[in-house]
Amino acid sequence: MISSPAIGLSTIYRRRIAVATKTVPGLIGLTVTPVLWILIVAPALAEALGGFSTDIDYYTFVAIGQVAFIIPFTSMFSGINVIVDKDFGILRELMAAPIPRASIPIGNALAVLSIALVQVAIIIVLAELRGAQFETSLAGVLWFIGAASFLSLITYGFAETLALLVGRQEAYGPLVPAVGVTPWFLAGALFPISLLPAGVEHLARALPWTHALALMRYGLMEGTDSGLTNIWHMDSAPLMAALSMATLAGMAVVSLAVAVQVFYRKTSA
Amino acid sequence: MPANAVSVEDLRKTYKNGVEALRGLNFAVESGEIFGILGPNGAGKSTTMGILTTSIKPTSGRAAVAGHDVVQDPLAVRRATGVVFQESVLDNDFSGLDNMRLHARLWGLNREEAEARTSSLLGVMGLSERAGDGVRTYSGGMKRRLEIARALLGKPRVLFLDEPTAGLDPAIRIEIWGLIQRLRRSEGVTILLSTHYLEEAEGVCNRVAIVHKGQVVALDSPGALLDSLGSEILELRVDGEAQRAADALAGVASFSSPPILIGDTLTMPVTNGDGPRFVEAVRQSGASLLGTTIRRPTLNDVFMQRTGAVSNGPARS
Repeated sequence: MISSPAIGLSTIYRRRIAVATKTVPGLIGLTVTPVLWILIVAPALAEALGGFSTDIDYYTFVAIGQVAFIIPFTSMFSGINVIVDKDFGILRELMAAPIPRASIPIGNALAVLSIALVQVAIIIVLAELRGAQFETSLAGVLWFIGAASFLSLITYGFAETLALLVGRQEAYGPLVPAVGVTPWFLAGALFPISLLPAGVEHLARALPWTHALALMRYGLMEGTDSGLTNIWHMDSAPLMAALSMATLAGMAVVSLAVAVQVFYRKTSA
Repeated sequence: MPANAVSVEDLRKTYKNGVEALRGLNFAVESGEIFGILGPNGAGKSTTMGILTTSIKPTSGRAAVAGHDVVQDPLAVRRATGVVFQESVLDNDFSGLDNMRLHARLWGLNREEAEARTSSLLGVMGLSERAGDGVRTYSGGMKRRLEIARALLGKPRVLFLDEPTAGLDPAIRIEIWGLIQRLRRSEGVTILLSTHYLEEAEGVCNRVAIVHKGQVVALDSPGALLDSLGSEILELRVDGEAQRAADALAGVASFSSPPILIGDTLTMPVTNGDGPRFVEAVRQSGASLLGTTIRRPTLNDVFMQRTGAVSNGPARS
């Protein structure tokens, strides 16, 4: 009988995936939401808001913006499971198991990441079918996946922390759109951040959404303005991409570390 | 394996809000025995269980389970133990079988071992036919049996049962206690349980520690503790003037512990046929005697005699 951090992580991961996919409504929510966004909302946005630049295919631009919407939204909703597990579910059983307790929030974060990547794949495939003009390479795909993954880990860490601190579903629920969506409007999802007022633009540069969006466009819209220049004001696109990826990696580490610390504090006396 | 499956030395816990839950707790549980931590709500039972299952950190003192220090080596402690919590702690979205499989993975059992143990334990618990059903559809007793089966899956050396019968109806409580005794025999596991149903623990536990305000006030086999009170307990119900009656009793006999006055009822152990003398003393005090009862001592009586307080468990089973 062997227990290890790997067993803990894999078991928590599998459980969270099972919880998310256990019910028909859950499955519908996971898959239909991105479908609706990319087939209905994105074309409508392209129709209403496109045209700020003739060099960019706006549907492609906003399709990637949808990716940066769905990832934090999924993370924030997953925070509700943290409260359910604590109040009504199985957290005490998990706490009594011979696994490192950090594997509970980390395993959950990895499961939410997997779910988010499936949703992202649905969006990209449907956008491609709908006529998005992705210009990419293997390296570009990796930039895209890396940015999407870090954004998921950052926002899940934040969701876990918030859920543990708030502690009640009725108090946490209203925070989901407020925290999960509001930054998205400032992050260049619908238009470049250079169009924002100067003060707000500075704030936008500090958001993980902004770095992730620029990196995802850098990966999938090669040859167009990704938004990295608006963040870093440098000439070298690869350098700016590396800086944004490092920024996201750092934010992910900090976000998950804070989540683990809050988890320790809130689950032990 | 060390002689003591659990050892607790001068264990203290003060919470951040200043509440002193444990004030120097000491006891040891021998391998293979069923040991009960008994006491009313707030006595410190749950804190003790929390420390021994590594979910609460002690303020000072030492506790070891299966030879492993709970602070220094919590993973080893958790690997050697199973826990049944006071509240139902099941994954309600899943079946009983799914809950067992989750536990098996957490405890690192390989697939073959997990399937064999799961099948065997669900059979013992009478849950085989409902194993595939969602636990939301289980009755309270079924959930508790499933939780006990789950806790035994990893072949723990020590099984912790925190208030295993709390919230269950009397018939199911009797069933669960019988199950616990059978499991000790069949699994050879050391069982440490906490309960505020003091009298129910009498027939189950090899030894009990009665805890009051974070300290052990009595520790022995239930039989020895009951013997310490003699063979009979006399209860005298009086109409008003109960305190005067109590004072009168104190004047006619030297008790090892004074009569306990609860409401209008005086409770005291009697030996050597002293009962009639006590009744007469109460009558002489001017108090009006409404009723007299002679009965066997219970652990509730032990608790009252040792603490002067009333257990908030049921007075009679």
